[in-house]
Amino acid sequence: MNRYFRELSVAGALVLLLALLGIVAPQFFEPQPLLSRLTAQVPTLVLTIGIAMVMITRQIDISVGSQFGLCAVLAGNLLTGGLPLPLALPLAATAGAAMGALNGCLVAWLGLPSIVVTLATMVTWAEVLRLTQQGRFINLPAGVQWLGLSQAAGQTALLAASLALLAAMAWLLKNRSGGRHLYAVGSDAEAARLSGINPKATTFWVFVFMGALAGVAAVCNLVQSPQVDPKCGTGLELKAIAAAVVGGIAVNGGRGSLWGAFVGLLLLATINPALTFLHVEAYWEKAIQGAVILLAVVADGIRSRRNAS
Amino acid sequence: MAHSSRSLKAQLLRHDVLLLLVLALEIAYFLNFARNFGTPDNLSNIVRHSAEIGLLALAMMPVILTGGIDLSVGSLMGLCAVLFGVLTHDLHWASLPAASLTVAAGLVAGAFNASVITLLRLPPLIVTLGTYSLFRGLAEAITQGTKTYRSFEPAFLQLGELRPAGLPLQAWILGVGALGFYVLVHRTTFGRSFRAIGFSPEGARYAGLPVLWRTALPYLLAGGVAAVAALLFTARLRQARADAGTGYELAAITAVVLGGTSIFGGTGTVYGTVAGIAAIAVLNNGIGRIPAVLKAGIGGELASLLTGALLLIALAAPGLSKLLQSVRKQSTLPASANPSPSPTH
Amino acid sequence: MKRSQFLHSLLVLPAAFLLPGCNKPETGASAENASGAGKKLTIAFMPKSKGNSYFINCEKGAREAVKELGVDLLFDGPTNTDPAKQNEIVENWITLGVDVMAVACENKEGISGALKKAQEKGIKVVTFDSDTTPDARSFFVSQATAQGIGEGLMDEAARLCDEEGEFAIITATLTAANMNEWRKHIEARLAEKYPKMKLVDTKPCDDQKDKAQQETTNLLGANPNLKCIMAICSPAVPGAAEAVKQAGKAGAVKVLGLGLPSENRAYLKDGITQSVILWKVADLGYLALYAAHALGSGALKTGDTSFKAGRLGELQVDSGGAIILGKPFVFNKENVDQFDF
Repeated sequence: MNRYFRELSVAGALVLLLALLGIVAPQFFEPQPLLSRLTAQVPTLVLTIGIAMVMITRQIDISVGSQFGLCAVLAGNLLTGGLPLPLALPLAATAGAAMGALNGCLVAWLGLPSIVVTLATMVTWAEVLRLTQQGRFINLPAGVQWLGLSQAAGQTALLAASLALLAAMAWLLKNRSGGRHLYAVGSDAEAARLSGINPKATTFWVFVFMGALAGVAAVCNLVQSPQVDPKCGTGLELKAIAAAVVGGIAVNGGRGSLWGAFVGLLLLATINPALTFLHVEAYWEKAIQGAVILLAVVADGIRSRRNAS
Repeated sequence: MAHSSRSLKAQLLRHDVLLLLVLALEIAYFLNFARNFGTPDNLSNIVRHSAEIGLLALAMMPVILTGGIDLSVGSLMGLCAVLFGVLTHDLHWASLPAASLTVAAGLVAGAFNASVITLLRLPPLIVTLGTYSLFRGLAEAITQGTKTYRSFEPAFLQLGELRPAGLPLQAWILGVGALGFYVLVHRTTFGRSFRAIGFSPEGARYAGLPVLWRTALPYLLAGGVAAVAALLFTARLRQARADAGTGYELAAITAVVLGGTSIFGGTGTVYGTVAGIAAIAVLNNGIGRIPAVLKAGIGGELASLLTGALLLIALAAPGLSKLLQSVRKQSTLPASANPSPSPTH
Repeated sequence: MKRSQFLHSLLVLPAAFLLPGCNKPETGASAENASGAGKKLTIAFMPKSKGNSYFINCEKGAREAVKELGVDLLFDGPTNTDPAKQNEIVENWITLGVDVMAVACENKEGISGALKKAQEKGIKVVTFDSDTTPDARSFFVSQATAQGIGEGLMDEAARLCDEEGEFAIITATLTAANMNEWRKHIEARLAEKYPKMKLVDTKPCDDQKDKAQQETTNLLGANPNLKCIMAICSPAVPGAAEAVKQAGKAGAVKVLGLGLPSENRAYLKDGITQSVILWKVADLGYLALYAAHALGSGALKTGDTSFKAGRLGELQVDSGGAIILGKPFVFNKENVDQFDF
């Protein structure tokens, strides 16, 4: 029980919030709108999976929002230019992976601090995007939305695919040595190196994977509406990091699970619609989110001090 | 590795010297190719426009030196600006007492960060990520998102325009701030311990340093400085809004890191930070005045791109040269003398 | 030791200033054409933000006018709406010696100080799209008054809802000054003329289409009796429409807003969005530039009641110095194909 305390307490908070909604605003649980709301979170979930892995390795990546936007615009423009839909996903993932590789090289091989590197790349990609796309929307061709399926089928497919990805990655992290390497490098890179793991390669590939996931997330977002807004990635890195942190991923690396990050995302993503359904004014949103993050973090701190003494 | 016999090349390759060279190159280039760059009006604009970020960078430097970080200073600027607006407009206080209370509030906010980080031993990145949202959120809640405070006392608004002895007030304030932080970090034993703490907190504790209190002080100061920056910002813009200071924390961090302070803590200088602030401010101003850039109207984007590139180069250079050195060393060693152990699986 | 090394290196800085070719300040728009009536005017044009298709279209119209008039154009603005950056750009323009400034003001009071400084140096100022305090500019080129926009939106919403029912507003951010002006007038009109209608909520979308879509989805779920969504920032209009479509409520919930026809064409044709209100955005930029040019060359002076603006013909100037482009235009299913912006 102690081992999963964080995940369980966040889940508990989520259940309380849902119970409150169930009493005061039961229309929250109407199936079709609920499905729409959940599907809208799929891109953020994919990003959170990647960020959690980066953070477990004791790094951070604040450039994922810009990567997301750039991949979305790239895929959108190519689709409008005639690219067949099945190629959009691998292409976006490759573009994202390339951007992630840049981060990876600078952090792993040159030993630069990840917060500064990804700050620089975040600004760079955002400016490149602004210079080239200049805020213009992209009108996608017919057949792209919902992958050509009906809305309900498309939404279910997206949701199922993202949950499958989550389950697969969670299992891999726990049961495959490649996954355990992330934890090892995040806890103590030197000890990991001495036991035969290559921390530099591990760090490099985790950034590449993060970039690829940013591309995947961008496509998941793209197929949910007939237009691409170049600003779609703005602020997503903070959402993903906050979800991971609330869900128990330690920023000092080596701890936390993807399922925890998932529950963290659910909690934070429920706050916004909850405010609407409970008819609370919109200007409370940031304050409440900040309070939730702090609560989660402080609770962690108190608990670990109590355990230590 | 005798320090006294360091070659000229090694001396030149030191981070802060290189940064000064870059700054000098920038200035020389812009003086020649950017329109009206060297005029007194423009030079004073450079200082006036970068005052708030400059102050935040100065306050951020000891935070990063001790191995921490503070993402909440920009949001705190917004909260302090709004607080000042409430005090002067809704409660009808005079500007001076309102300003004093605002600075006190900034210190309280900084103390909040400080206590959560030091007493609960939580990672500064995450705590200040939370207060980054919380402070901004409180500012938005107080103003209900929409309220903008205008029409301040003319005496207060003068702060944005005053030129004591010909230099803009902001230059004086930045100068005092830089001097103050320089004395704190480099000339007091108190401040000198920052470097030790950043380098090795455990080692510092074993050496008998009161690590907790000394780690807390930079965050406290950062809160107070953010409040001062908010007041300057409000005076210059003649309005107080909840979104004041958005993005300033990242700009401050960029200046500090560009100036040679390691983000991991343990090394760094205040004068490096000042050079970093200057390099970025000059770049931002000068780029937009080059005729070709002026015509295309892409000054802002180009400045951001170049700042990002400059940051990456500044960071990568020592790492790259070390990499090159180690490659060169390995290739000159005979194979049998290669000391690297074979990994055991 | 480190400190003295640093100080020694500081000596490098003054050397930079002494390098040959160090320029003397150039006064006036260009050093070559120093005198007289034949001097080319330099007009500086600033949108509220550069990454916004609305202002990109404004710029297009302005550049068309630049070609016709043969002036030098400086175009710059913050990448996101940022009042501090606008002030800085204005102050930079003062030191560059421009002749006229045309500015869309994000912050009415805040920018007035900088613009007044410009006026003191002999630089003429017009504002467009969003005004500053009247003493900081000579003229204000407006697509329509804030009151006209607010009332137009409310009246159109009422028309679509048969003057009764609940509606919600999607705005960009809670701090956006001109949208708050419009909201004030919308709410005033609502209270004055439509007692059977109710505004249930106002949500920000951070100027992002996807966020507007999510907020609308939430609003539709939380307010089952919602009859209309009014999206007053341009990315929100297609976002809200998509949400209504995905919720299966097309037709039952009306969508209207301020947006570009090109972004809403499909939704208008499918009947999901009923009305998109805007004005010929490029014309606004064109007119602003013509006004700036007329002001700079002396053709337009304070107190004039009309002036000629190229292909737009003769335009009225009211006593407050406002030049109105015309009434807002309603794009709907029938006429949307005639426009390509």
